[in-house]
Amino acid sequence: MTTSLALRAEWAKFTTLRSQWITPLIAVLLTAGITAAVQAAYGEVDRSLRDDPAEGIYYGMLFGHVAVVASGILLIGQEYASDTVRASLAAVPRRGRFYAGKLMLGTGIGLVVGLLSVAGAHLATSATVGLDLGQPGAVRSIVAGVLYHPLLLVLCLGLTAMLRNLTAAIGLLTPAVFLGTTFLTAVPGVREAAYFLPDRAGLYATRYLTDPAVPYGHWTGLLVMALWAAAAAWGGLLSLQRNDA
Amino acid sequence: MIEVRNLTKRYGATTAVDGLDFRVEPGRVTGFLGPNGAGKSTTLRMVLGLDRPTAGEALVHGRPYAELEAPLRQVGALLDAHAVHGGRTARGHLRWLAASNGLPRRRIEEVLEQVGLGAAADRRIKGFSLGMRQRLGVAAALLGDPPVLLLDEPVNGLDPEGIRWIRTLLRGLAAEGRAVLVSSHLMAEMALTADHLVVVGRGRLLADLTTDGFLARHGRSRVRVRAVDPVKLADLLRGSGTAAEPVEGSGGAWEVFGTTSEEIGALAARHGVALYELSVQQDSLEEAFMRMTADAVEYRAVAA
Repeated sequence: MTTSLALRAEWAKFTTLRSQWITPLIAVLLTAGITAAVQAAYGEVDRSLRDDPAEGIYYGMLFGHVAVVASGILLIGQEYASDTVRASLAAVPRRGRFYAGKLMLGTGIGLVVGLLSVAGAHLATSATVGLDLGQPGAVRSIVAGVLYHPLLLVLCLGLTAMLRNLTAAIGLLTPAVFLGTTFLTAVPGVREAAYFLPDRAGLYATRYLTDPAVPYGHWTGLLVMALWAAAAAWGGLLSLQRNDA
Repeated sequence: MIEVRNLTKRYGATTAVDGLDFRVEPGRVTGFLGPNGAGKSTTLRMVLGLDRPTAGEALVHGRPYAELEAPLRQVGALLDAHAVHGGRTARGHLRWLAASNGLPRRRIEEVLEQVGLGAAADRRIKGFSLGMRQRLGVAAALLGDPPVLLLDEPVNGLDPEGIRWIRTLLRGLAAEGRAVLVSSHLMAEMALTADHLVVVGRGRLLADLTTDGFLARHGRSRVRVRAVDPVKLADLLRGSGTAAEPVEGSGGAWEVFGTTSEEIGALAARHGVALYELSVQQDSLEEAFMRMTADAVEYRAVAA
């Protein structure tokens, strides 16, 4: 009952602040828009976008990510930046309940963004280079593509709750998520470990084809990402429960 | 009602709050008084369950704050008028607060009117003056119509009109039977607002008594007297054995300690000294407070 009140409070916070609701909207527009533009321009000529159709379909998601990460950070980071976290915890003093409200809203936003982004990216592909959903891996790619969004959002929300600071979260998470994987993949020796980074594992689950270099299967990739998200969410809860507000 | 028992908060080697005991009773304004850094805000945060005490406890209606269901219906708090997101409107800020405790939407309109923000309800908070933010903070505290109110330095930075508004509001809320705790470092303001004082210095309880009782106990009273013939008066006072000091630049007035105006008046009459002036001078709350905290500092220095 009262967890639902905590969720309603989070929903009210989300709808009464423009930066909160505009960021997920930008994620959808970036993913669908850039996929549409790239498919229209290079979809026919660039083999790398066609060999594995997921490369072309999810091209825009590499940009949409930025807004998904930002959304996860803002969802709780803005409370720390504006000190409203004290008012929030005075209103909902059970921290687990307050945090559950955040996680539920974050998961919900992530799912909606995932559904709209993936639908938009597929529609854009279908309208430009064409789409064959009967291909092996096509359905899994859609499911994984949708779930990737709430997992990434919850991952960032949890890490921000651990850091308890909006600026630190933006400064650390954004480069970590977008450059970390690329950078580590280029370093010999840690390359194998880089396969187990959350974004990399999650993205692999959206690919139609199997990459023999990846040491796990497609679904396992999504599971790896889910474990990261769960660990971050758990860490965020511990941080919230242990620290003075 | 709020009950604070042996409440203690340490940050490493620093003790911010040191074994505080006091109660906030309904039907009166309790002033929580102390210089900046005395531990007032830390105490309020512990009462609200935001900071965890190192020792002791703070209870609201006999229970820790964190165990209250719909706490905004039990306790309204204004901690920091700046702790709002400037991008929200006043109404938007109150909307999420109301949602968190299942409060009816009409309460939002009621408190906005009550604090005089009805016309500014749909403006973004970032454009608000400090006075408007304080009013919004008070509106948030009143949202759940709570029997207990906690306000941390609510008059800080307000203009005289705003200060008078807060004072009238707090007295009105106490008259309705609510328990009101107001922290402040402004003694003069508390003298006008509070019925009861809880005085802290360096995290320790220095006094817990009525405002009048505080003045009677810690405020020195003295009798000011001026006579037609200053020389005769001086001789009389020196001969009477009471502690007396001439007041500089006052045309021969004296201040006499440890006596009453009746005694001085009778003494002057017996010796045929005609008086121009005879009055009791009471320390202001501020002077009493300064003397008291100075004593506390001295005591600590000796004890150390």
